Amino acid sequence: MPTVIAPRDERTQPMRIVPGYPQTPWRNPKEPLVRRPPTLSELTGPLEVSRRVKLLGGDIAGHRDQQAIGQLMHLKVRVVDEDGAPVGGTVVEIWQCNAAGRYIHPNDDDHAPVDANFYGAARLTTDESGSFDLRTVKPGAYPVPTRDGWWRPPHIHFSLFGKLWLQRLVTQMYFPGEPLNAQDRILNAVPDAAARERLVARMVPPAADPFNALVFEHQIVLRGRRATPAQP
Amino acid sequence: MIPTGEATIGPFFPPRYVDAGANDLTQVEGRKAQGEAIEIHGCVRQEDGAALDNLVVEIWQADAKGIYRHPADPRQGEADANFLGWGRAATDQAGNYRFRSVRPGAPAGRARHVNFMVMFSGLMRILKTTMFFDGEKANDADPVLVAVPAARRALLVARQEAPGKYRFDLKLRGEHETPFFDD
Repeated sequence: MPTVIAPRDERTQPMRIVPGYPQTPWRNPKEPLVRRPPTLSELTGPLEVSRRVKLLGGDIAGHRDQQAIGQLMHLKVRVVDEDGAPVGGTVVEIWQCNAAGRYIHPNDDDHAPVDANFYGAARLTTDESGSFDLRTVKPGAYPVPTRDGWWRPPHIHFSLFGKLWLQRLVTQMYFPGEPLNAQDRILNAVPDAAARERLVARMVPPAADPFNALVFEHQIVLRGRRATPAQP
Repeated sequence: MIPTGEATIGPFFPPRYVDAGANDLTQVEGRKAQGEAIEIHGCVRQEDGAALDNLVVEIWQADAKGIYRHPADPRQGEADANFLGWGRAATDQAGNYRFRSVRPGAPAGRARHVNFMVMFSGLMRILKTTMFFDGEKANDADPVLVAVPAARRALLVARQEAPGKYRFDLKLRGEHETPFFDD
């Protein structure tokens, strides 16, 4: 059955120009975006990304004497579409800073220390139930070089392909109870409070297994629902 | 269920995610795709004309026969086994990206074209656009191109610099702003 991509509720998506985020007014289109009729070209998409790029697995915390410094955590993510149907077999790219708030990237000239045992990049595919597990350390917060007191709260970046070109999603996930969430300019660029809440992971009560890691759950909803069959 | 909110890719997308060869669509695991090899390149700039470094560009296109390697395409069974249709490039310090691909065939009802996607720090959402080829009669009737106001359509048509070599510059905002689509 064909997939339909309907316009999204604007309040559930970030504003394009964000007060206090100085790059945004230079880069986001001034002209109105153009509505186009969907064709096969946008309602298909790459299904074999992993034959073009290398999968890296979902365990980025390291082990034994090479374990990264920080709070060990397991993140269980489920990827579904707007019908709630699992999106299996799709490539997910994940990246984050280390527990001190430092990325391994030439753009990060912050003074927080690098951890030799942490690069912070996982790339994997979802299983048939649309799920994947990430074993990592909890990312730290870090100051944004706007030098006006904006700190990014702990967050994890996701890039997902889905099954169609119009399902492609880049998003960020936040942690519950973090005081910096309330003032983060990227999280709060989403006008709708319930939509922001859905960007925050849920903490699973600590249990005996795994005894040494915090566990979080998160859900990511890609665009698209099954077409309603025409009435006879 | 309501689709998850987008967010910027930020300034720290891991360099290792722009894998060597991810911008070369002309082969799969060493086996050559059918059709005429082409090169698509261009420069990406923001409103003040500054070239944008470390910006991620992705493309998706039909194979040389105009078939998408996807079950939604009724002709999928005839798709080129050595053409995946997808690639990724990052811009260099001069703002330039580059892809090697094959000239796409025209899918049913469309002019030949290449779908583009741009992700960057300060872009809160993915920007989507489509590149068309110069001198194609079918451009005049392409439903996506004609959805663009007439005065801006030429900005979506790549310039042929040499046989098989196309230039498609992207201006994210301001003078000569590239038309982007809202889907």
